[in-house]
Amino acid sequence: MHFPVWLKLLGIVIVIIGLALKLRTTLVVVVAALVTGLLSGLPLFSEHSFISGIPFITKPGQEGIIDMLGRAFSDTRFVTLFIVTLPVVGLAERFGLQERSAMLIRRVSGATVGRLQIVYQMFRIAMGALGLRLNGHPVFVRPLVFPMSVGAAEKSLGVSGESEIPEKSIERIKAANAAGENYGNFYGQNLSLVQAGILLVFNTLKGLGYQVSLVSLVLFAIPIATLSLILGVIQFSLMDRFYRKKEANKTNA
Amino acid sequence: MHSFAFFAFDPKHLLEIVYVVTGLTLLIFAIMSFLDNKNPRRFGTGIFWLILAIIFVLGTVLPHWVTGLMVLAMAGIDGAGRIAKGDYNEPSKSTLLEHARRLGDKIFLPVLLIPIITILAAATFRLLNQFLNFSLDTNQGALVGLVVGSLIAMAICMGMTKSSPKLMMNEGRRLNDAMGTVTILPQLLASLGVVFTAAKVGDLIAGGITHVIPEHSLFLLVLANCLGMSMFTIIMGNSFAAFPVIATGVLAPLIIKPFGANPAMVAIITLTAGSSGTLITPMAANFNILPAALLNMKDQYGVIKFQLPYAATIWAAHVILMWLMIRWF
Repeated sequence: MHFPVWLKLLGIVIVIIGLALKLRTTLVVVVAALVTGLLSGLPLFSEHSFISGIPFITKPGQEGIIDMLGRAFSDTRFVTLFIVTLPVVGLAERFGLQERSAMLIRRVSGATVGRLQIVYQMFRIAMGALGLRLNGHPVFVRPLVFPMSVGAAEKSLGVSGESEIPEKSIERIKAANAAGENYGNFYGQNLSLVQAGILLVFNTLKGLGYQVSLVSLVLFAIPIATLSLILGVIQFSLMDRFYRKKEANKTNA
Repeated sequence: MHSFAFFAFDPKHLLEIVYVVTGLTLLIFAIMSFLDNKNPRRFGTGIFWLILAIIFVLGTVLPHWVTGLMVLAMAGIDGAGRIAKGDYNEPSKSTLLEHARRLGDKIFLPVLLIPIITILAAATFRLLNQFLNFSLDTNQGALVGLVVGSLIAMAICMGMTKSSPKLMMNEGRRLNDAMGTVTILPQLLASLGVVFTAAKVGDLIAGGITHVIPEHSLFLLVLANCLGMSMFTIIMGNSFAAFPVIATGVLAPLIIKPFGANPAMVAIITLTAGSSGTLITPMAANFNILPAALLNMKDQYGVIKFQLPYAATIWAAHVILMWLMIRWF
């Protein structure tokens, strides 16, 4: 059986609708994979000794969708290794890690939510430039940057305790924490000769017949990396303006 | 060639140990979930983490179709709503403050040890590679360091706080359950990307892009190149998957060749144009959705919404920068 080529895009439609409606994401993704694969004429299973020659279930010489899912899921286990950090972070939080982080930042004069994100973004760019790849969300953002940001916000708003900060502000702080990590990580990593992105570009160009030097790739990454920091400074400073306004309103009231 | 007898092991085994340790952590979470009678869905929750634990421990030796069926089972359990949070015996705010005063800044030590050991391991692997022709890549070094660092930090953290392993693992389970099944989303989406590639969805999109491209105006070509790169990244969730397709289909034949543009310059700008896509797509779950879960955000798309204006601005800057630089260089 043959389907029109564009029908393959149905999988993408399923993902978009599923995510927009906030359905169970895991199920949406698996269904999209099965639908895309089947509409493209891929079999469900690869040929194994006990199943072969059944129409739609297997097809000679083609990897099955379920085999593909298993292979990719197993090959990408490295993205989920952060699980092993959770017991330490959890236990440290039970013994006051977040409270201590907030106390620490309150002692730093001039510390604001925005400035903290800027410093963190710079730190991540520096790590990228040194060729160090690390998922900062579990090891830096959740245990350290977030509670420090809360401490800075408490100081700016003149309150004591996370519960006194409006929930909307807390959500915004959390979003900024994650964004600072992503900005620094994405645009900083191309400043190193050994990072995956630079090597990917180098190899792709080589395959297309263009021999470039790794150093020139890094040099041409500098303008955007610089701009990424400037834009981060602008966006995070705007957050601080919001806090100053809040404070001004409070003293006026 | 340098070669030392005690380095004569396959680096892949190191990574395998790392997966097993993670799997055993998940196994403990699973057992604790089964035993948590305050969790209304303890059986479904336990099975879910048990399956993931098995995939971590045995993923390399299991036939792929078995792992694939286990992945379907996890999605099924989650889809049927059989997963819930349990009871973690959380301390009160005043207890927390008391601990914070008693332990002081020492509490930072175990938490900071994890990234420090990770970075040291990555650097060590790099040096071994460079000077001993050791076939380990640095990313693997960081992964090994993350797990070794976590194990050392666990021991130090338990000693400092005089806590039992049970209390520590329960705290880990608290964070794990707070994130819920979002944990497996990055792996699932990467798998979806593999199916998309096998189904040639990418070629279809690239074909569509080249179809509508105006061939004569440099500015419109640059615009289409950056737009294609971001769109592709939004769908695949990964700019590294998008780059070879766009470079081969658009960048090289339509920009580098006819306009004599500097390949290194336009290529690296194209790559980071894709990052704007990464910043705004839920498909890049490990950067956008997982952190929202890790920080217990109310809105799972809160990170994406915050990044949207930044991504749009820097994307526009990419288009202008690439256009200007092709004209100047």
